[in-house]
Amino acid sequence: MIELPELVAGGLAAGTLSALALGGSLLRSRRQKAALRAEVTELRDRLESAEGAFISEIEHLAARRMPAAAAQLAHPHLRVPGPIRQNTPGTPIGIALEYVLTALREELTAQRVRIDAAAQAGLRGATREIQAALYRLQDALRGLEQRYDDPELAQTLFALDHENEQSLRRAQVAAVVCGAWVGLAREESHVVDAVTGGQARLAGYHRVRVHNHLEPGTALVSHAVEPAAIIVAELLDNALRHSAPDTDVIVNLEHVHHGVCVTVDDAGLGMTQDERARAQRLVAGSNPILLTDLGDPPRMGLAAIGQLTRQFDLSVDVSSPSPYGGVRAVLRVDSHLLGRIDPQERPPSASAPRSTRERAARREPGREPAGSGTPTAEPPAPAAPVPAPQPVPKPAPAPAPVAPVPAAAGHGAEHERAAAPGHPETSDLGGLPQRRRRTRTDASGLPQPPSAVRRPEEAAAALAALQYGTAAARTPKRASAPDPQRTDDEGGAAR
Amino acid sequence: MTGRLGGRPLVPAYLSTGGVARPSRPHLERLTVLTRDGSALPAGLPAAELALMELLSGGALTVVEAAALLRLPFSAVRVLAADLVDRDLVQTRAPIPPAERFDPDLLKRVADGLRALKHR
Repeated sequence: MIELPELVAGGLAAGTLSALALGGSLLRSRRQKAALRAEVTELRDRLESAEGAFISEIEHLAARRMPAAAAQLAHPHLRVPGPIRQNTPGTPIGIALEYVLTALREELTAQRVRIDAAAQAGLRGATREIQAALYRLQDALRGLEQRYDDPELAQTLFALDHENEQSLRRAQVAAVVCGAWVGLAREESHVVDAVTGGQARLAGYHRVRVHNHLEPGTALVSHAVEPAAIIVAELLDNALRHSAPDTDVIVNLEHVHHGVCVTVDDAGLGMTQDERARAQRLVAGSNPILLTDLGDPPRMGLAAIGQLTRQFDLSVDVSSPSPYGGVRAVLRVDSHLLGRIDPQERPPSASAPRSTRERAARREPGREPAGSGTPTAEPPAPAAPVPAPQPVPKPAPAPAPVAPVPAAAGHGAEHERAAAPGHPETSDLGGLPQRRRRTRTDASGLPQPPSAVRRPEEAAAALAALQYGTAAARTPKRASAPDPQRTDDEGGAAR
Repeated sequence: MTGRLGGRPLVPAYLSTGGVARPSRPHLERLTVLTRDGSALPAGLPAAELALMELLSGGALTVVEAAALLRLPFSAVRVLAADLVDRDLVQTRAPIPPAERFDPDLLKRVADGLRALKHR
């Protein structure tokens, strides 16, 4: 009997113990489970928030950053927004997102260049055809100008020729921007001719004043002639476009140490710092040109200059403001692109302004004999080389001995220029210190006087020779067959 | 006289007159003779007029000769010359009228008559 309660007690004790132990472990495991569950939920939350952040970064990339990066290629001043979260850059996600943008930029740039090249090729082909057609039209117009005298017709032809020149300039510039050749081979020409030729291609050419301070005969080598004319035309066009219609655009042609400079000054508004920097960048021609960069309608002038300066080793500077208030553009032609033409043999065109140096060279020999009593007895002797007896009603403009400064060149230069060439024959070979001038005096002085006396006879002789030659060339052909008849005829008439 | 320039001229003709082709004087013809006296040139002559004056300082020339020498069309030189005449810098003389041409009919009849005389 006793045993049973003991047994029961023992069993109970053991049960209690094990229950205690089990309860403890159960409690522990329950606590652990709770902790795990909390950890899992926390991790899940973090995962969800990270996923959300990732998705929002990608959405942001697609909606904002990629379009901005694409637009930035065309408009460099745009800013590409960064990721949404501050801490994304540097993380693997941030780096991967940057890769996306970089790849996008590269591919877009390549596409852009490809598309632009195709557009340029198309434009090049079209403008080339147009240019050729306009040259043919020019030939036709010039032929008509030579042939017809009627003033009204001539006036129309001049106007058409001018319109044609302007269209030609547009077509040519578009072609040059698209990487084409200038489209015309010229022979070696005077620098002043290239500048005047460029001037003639503009609508407002009346407003351009060219002052030529070059040594007469300074010429451009053949392949630089047309590029120089295009560049001058574009610089002048800019100057004319950005200055008031009642102001002049001043062009000066001067020698510099390494060649020749053509300076174009306008009295317009000038450019801001940014505009000037952009213009200088375009003109320097260091970056490849994309049509899409030139705006709509495309501003091709400066881009064309850039192409030409790069191809032909010319240099253009538009970075300095003009003392007249506008822009000063300087085209520099280096010596290796310059040559010399004998101005007696091939004078520059009649419309090209005379060189001020030519005038100085002519005036000085004229002055010397004036002191010693003009030895050459020329018919126009009364037009003495002394500037005193000029019957000009102008208020005695002092004959400035120095080369006129561009600013004051306007009237002074014209006056001086006008005074000299009236009496170029009075030149004496008398001692001039400078060899170069003396040789030119030889050239201009000596052949002139005989031709002054003989020109009509010369003309008559030349015409007679021509007539005689033509007659001589015609007669034997006819005379060969009916020779006897003809002599008989003549004989009959003579008798 | 001057060597022919190959290729197309760089400077178009209209630049010489500033685009004007209607002369201020209508009477200038191709063979009108231009002469200048020795008087000094006034200030501010356009380049092309100056060139014409220089050309004339060598002696008298007809308008068409001057045009050939200046390599300009006649219509342009006519404007230049008219302007210079207006300024009293250049004198003009009307072209010498071409001699009357013989009537070929008359000549033929005379020849026939002479031949008839000869064969008589």
